[in-house]
Amino acid sequence: MSELIPLVQTILAATGYSMALARLHRRGDRWPASRAACLFAGSVCVCAAVLPPVGGHDEYFPVHVGQHVLLGMAGPAFLALSAPVTLALRALSPRPHRAALRLLHSRPITIVSSLPAAIILDLGGLYVLYLTGLYRAAEDNDVIHAAVHLHVFLAGCLLSWALIGLDPIRRRPGITARLAALVAAGAAHDTLAKLIYAHSLPPGGGSIASRHIGAELMYYSGTVIGIALAVVLMAQWYQASGRALARTARRGMPEHERL
Amino acid sequence: MLAGFGLAAFLDETFFHQILHWHHFYDKSTMAVGLLSDGLFHAFGFTSMVAGLFLMADSLRRGDFIPKRWWGALLLGSGSFQLYDGTIQHKLLGLHQIRYHVVIWPYDLTWNILAAIMIIAGIILMRGRAEVARSGIFRSDADPAT
Repeated sequence: MSELIPLVQTILAATGYSMALARLHRRGDRWPASRAACLFAGSVCVCAAVLPPVGGHDEYFPVHVGQHVLLGMAGPAFLALSAPVTLALRALSPRPHRAALRLLHSRPITIVSSLPAAIILDLGGLYVLYLTGLYRAAEDNDVIHAAVHLHVFLAGCLLSWALIGLDPIRRRPGITARLAALVAAGAAHDTLAKLIYAHSLPPGGGSIASRHIGAELMYYSGTVIGIALAVVLMAQWYQASGRALARTARRGMPEHERL
Repeated sequence: MLAGFGLAAFLDETFFHQILHWHHFYDKSTMAVGLLSDGLFHAFGFTSMVAGLFLMADSLRRGDFIPKRWWGALLLGSGSFQLYDGTIQHKLLGLHQIRYHVVIWPYDLTWNILAAIMIIAGIILMRGRAEVARSGIFRSDADPAT
């Protein structure tokens, strides 16, 4: 039954997103359809991770890895591209809007959503999960299992938001810092996958063969998602620098033409 | 663009490296340091490949793309990576080898000499091209930004 909680949360989030969209629409504001599509794709990833068949067989290590790829990497990446915070800020009435801004700009949120913190929370969490007895404990105990899922999802969101998120972040790091962060996270991920392979981790992960398959799956899916993230990141940069280029080209034009 | 571009293509070619030893990735349990180096190498490889291609697209868009320099940078990049791989990764860290169950010396030698040749050729190409750029052959007409 514990898988119902993330499911309900996902549905609630998607409903909230739709309501905000409807409000914007009534007001005559525009909102890119691609963002709504990303919300849908992200929700599908999260639901697929927690529902059967994936959710029902995650005691088999490769399935567990696939579940984490959906829940902690692909899902959050799509959600980050759906810009839910921007949407919420636009849809909220002034008073909750101010409260939300205060919360977003508060020190704890700023710290936790910074790149280094996101990497440490996300990858650090995975190292703890696989290198200690936590994996076995999560297999035996439903509450720990659910907590691990929640952590993987939230930490994945933090990292996705910091890397490719469209929502405004205070003092967003430049493209170089974000690429470097992607390399660091990717390297930590690959290293962990190979450690798992080399030492047949994690304890409690089933047969050696299945642990090896899981490690390979982790390695290669990490590469695929890493490349996808790099493409998104560079595409965002390409678009932004294209706009800057166009502005420069309009140098001679009146000031009000500029953004 | 010039500085940016050298860097870009420098990274670009790691792609080549990736293909070259895709299959050697899991061989034996090596030291943690070796795994870390390999992981970094891998992540850096794919990230820089993507970044390099986008930088190239940007350069094309700006109209200051210079093929000769690009090839030079490409060679320089591949060469450096191959050399790094041949020395640090293969030898120092004892990570995967080029081939197994054979006398490894000829392979290592070829690998590293090839790398050196690529580096030198890359430098020559890049230098040559800087002069060409100054003489203005490649920056003739289409530069929409100016």
